[in-house]
Amino acid sequence: MNETRQILEDSVNRLFGDRLDWDALTRIEDSGFPRQLWDEVVDQGIHKVLASEDAGGMGAGWGEAYAVLRACGRHAVPLPVAEASIAEWLAAQAGCVLPEGVPGLLTSTLDGNAVAGDSLVLDGARTPWGREAAYLVGVAARGSAAELIVADPAGLEITAEDNLGRDPRDTLSGRARVTARHALPLPADCVRWLGALARSAQIAGGGAAGLDLALQYAAERSQFGRPLAAFQAIQHYLADLAGTVAAVDTISLAACEALDARGMASDGRNARFEIAAAKCRASEAVEKLTRLSHQVHGAIGFTYEYGLHFVTRRLWAWRAEFGGAGEWGEYLGREAVAVGGDGVWPLITA
Amino acid sequence: MTSVADKLRFEPLRLPPELDELRADVRAFLAETLAGMSVVKRSHSWESYDAEFSARLGARGWIGMTLPEQYGGHGRSALERYVVVEECLVAGAPTGFHWVADRQSGPLIVRYGTEAQKQEIVPRITQGKACFAIGMSEPNSGSDLASLRTRAERIPGGWRVNGTKIWTSNAHRANYMIALFRTDPDPNKKHAGLSQFLIDLDKTSGITPRTIQNLAGGRNFNEVAFVDAELPEDALIGREGEGWRQVTEELAFERSGPERYLSCFFLLRKLIDQVGGKASSATLARIGAQVAWATTLRNMSLSIAAKLNAGEDPALEASVVKDLGCQFEQALPGLCQELCELEPSLEGFGTEYQQVLGSLVQVAPSFSLRGGTPEIMRGIIAKGLGVR
Repeated sequence: MNETRQILEDSVNRLFGDRLDWDALTRIEDSGFPRQLWDEVVDQGIHKVLASEDAGGMGAGWGEAYAVLRACGRHAVPLPVAEASIAEWLAAQAGCVLPEGVPGLLTSTLDGNAVAGDSLVLDGARTPWGREAAYLVGVAARGSAAELIVADPAGLEITAEDNLGRDPRDTLSGRARVTARHALPLPADCVRWLGALARSAQIAGGGAAGLDLALQYAAERSQFGRPLAAFQAIQHYLADLAGTVAAVDTISLAACEALDARGMASDGRNARFEIAAAKCRASEAVEKLTRLSHQVHGAIGFTYEYGLHFVTRRLWAWRAEFGGAGEWGEYLGREAVAVGGDGVWPLITA
Repeated sequence: MTSVADKLRFEPLRLPPELDELRADVRAFLAETLAGMSVVKRSHSWESYDAEFSARLGARGWIGMTLPEQYGGHGRSALERYVVVEECLVAGAPTGFHWVADRQSGPLIVRYGTEAQKQEIVPRITQGKACFAIGMSEPNSGSDLASLRTRAERIPGGWRVNGTKIWTSNAHRANYMIALFRTDPDPNKKHAGLSQFLIDLDKTSGITPRTIQNLAGGRNFNEVAFVDAELPEDALIGREGEGWRQVTEELAFERSGPERYLSCFFLLRKLIDQVGGKASSATLARIGAQVAWATTLRNMSLSIAAKLNAGEDPALEASVVKDLGCQFEQALPGLCQELCELEPSLEGFGTEYQQVLGSLVQVAPSFSLRGGTPEIMRGIIAKGLGVR
C-alpha cells in the first residue's frame, strides 16, 4: 500500500477509534457539535491532507486523502472532515489560503448572478454543518470558467436540518459578504463531483465498519448451540458482504488515484469516469451493505443501544447525497451510448 | 477493534503506459481477424474452439507469453499477458482451443514437467497448436473434488488408470489432458492420496471421451472413461501425493482472470448499440451501472494480476472477484430483457443483439458452475474472514 496512505490510515483510525465509541456518538447526537474533537482534527491537520504546504497542509493527493475519508465513514465521524478536505483542495487549486475555523461548504454550484462585488446571495443553499460555519466556501460559474468564493456567513438565515445520520445539513438564505474570490481552474460543477467522490470513500468505510461488526457479532452470538458464524447461511452473507465492501473500497480508491493522475478538467477521458463509477457502485451497494450487516445482527442491530445504526443510517444518507446510483449511472450510460458498443471498452481501459 | 475489512484490500494498479502499444496491436489484429465471424461464435469467446484462430494468435507471439524463451515462450510479464487476454475476451475472440494451455497447463509443465516434456510440449502450446483438457470432476465428485476415485496404479514402467471423469471441456478434441487421479486409496488420505498426470491423448489407448450435449445444443464437454489406460512413468507431473496442492495453486490462475467477469461483455456492447440513442434516462442509468460494475471489477482483477506478477498468492482475492464477477455477468441477460423488448433469438435470426442474447442467456447458468460455484467461493471467502 501507498506508504503515506497507510500511515494516515493508521493514525486517523487510532484517533477516531479512541474518541468515537458508541457512548461518545450517542452523547454527540444529544449535545451537538463535538468542538473538542474538531480541535484535535485541526491540531493534527487531518482536514488539511489536500491543502497546499503554503496553507499549512500536507500537499498530498486524493490517493492519500482517501485514508481520511474512508476512516470518517468507518467511525461515523460527526464532523465536516470530508467537506473541509474538499474546500482545502479547491483552495489549493485556486492558489489561496482559507480562513481558520469550521468551513461551510456550499454543495451546489453558485449561479454567476448570485455573486456581485462583495455580495453573495443564497436562497436555500444546502450546507453541511452550516450552523457551525466560520466561513463559507463555494464555486460559482463564470461563463465557462469557475471562481472560488469565500464568504462570511454572518447575517444569513440558517434553517437547521439533519440528515438520517443526524449530521447537520442546513440550508442558508440571505446576503453574505464575500471575503475572497479566486479564479479556479476546474469545472464549475466540481463540488458535486468531489462530494460524490468523498461520499463513495465514506460509504467504503461505513461498509467496512458494518462488516467488522457483523463478523464480531457472528463470532460471539450463539444459537442452536453454536456461534452464528458456524452456520453456512451466515458465512455466505458475510462473504457476500465482504466482497461488496471490497468492491466499493477498490473503485473509490481507484477514482481518487485517477483524480490525482488525470484531473477532472481536461477534455476527453479524465477522472470523471472513475468518480461516476465509484458513486454509482457505492450508492448501489448501500442496499446490500446495510441489509446484510443488519440481518447478521438480528434484532439487536435494530436497537439504538447497540449502535450499528451509527454507520447504517449514515450509509442511507450518503447513498443519495451528491447524487445516487441513478444520476451517476445515467452519466455513464450517456457516455457509453455516445461512444457506442465498440467504444465502451476503450473508454474503460483508457 | 481489529478489522478484518482492512485486510481484504485491492491495491489499485495502473498498467504501465508502454502496454498501450501492445493493446493497440492486439485490437487491430482482432478487428481484422474477427471481421465477418458469427456473433454467436464470438459470444462464447473462451469456450469457442477454433484451432486456426489460435494458430494465428500464437504466430503473433500472444500465447504462452510469460513462459521461458528456451521453450518457445516469450518471457513477457503477466501484465502483458493480461492485456492480451482481456482484449480477446472483450472482442469475443474464439480462444477455446488454447485457453487452458495458455492459462494453466503451460505454466504447470514449465514448473513441474521433465526437461523432455518441456521441450516437446511447451513450444506447441506457444504456437497455439496444442489443446489441453483438464480432468477434474467425476460423476460422484463435483464440488467435493477431493472425494474423487479415478485410480492410477503403479505398474512396471508406468501407471494404469481406471475410472471416469466428467464435464471435461474439449476432451474429445484435445491433444493433452492434465488429470487429477487417486494414487493412494487409503481412505485416511483424502487429499494426500491425489496426484496430477500429464496425458498425451493422441498416443494413449484406453481413454474414451463421449461428448455431452449442453442445453443450448453445444458439444463442448465430455464424459471420459479410462479403462486400463496405461501411462508412462513420467506422466506423473509434480510429486506423487502433491496433486491437491498443485491443483490449488493452479486454481489461483483459474479463478482470478478477467474471464470471470467478462463473459457477457460482448452482450453489453450489443445492448448499447441496440438501445442506443433512444434509451430513456432510466435505461441509461441501468446501462451505466453495468459500466460502473465492469470498471470496478476490472480494477479488482488488475490488482490481482499485479499480485500474481509479484509472485504473491491472491487465492482469497481471486475467490472474491470470481463471486462478484459471476453475479455481474450472470445478471446481464436478464437485465437486457428488462431494458429492451426484443426477444432472444437463435443463430441466424434477428439482430446481432438478439442472437448474442439468445446465446448467452442459455449458457449463463454455467457461469456459476464452472471453475467453482459461488457456494464454494463463499466458503473460501468465509475461511479467509476467519469465520470458518
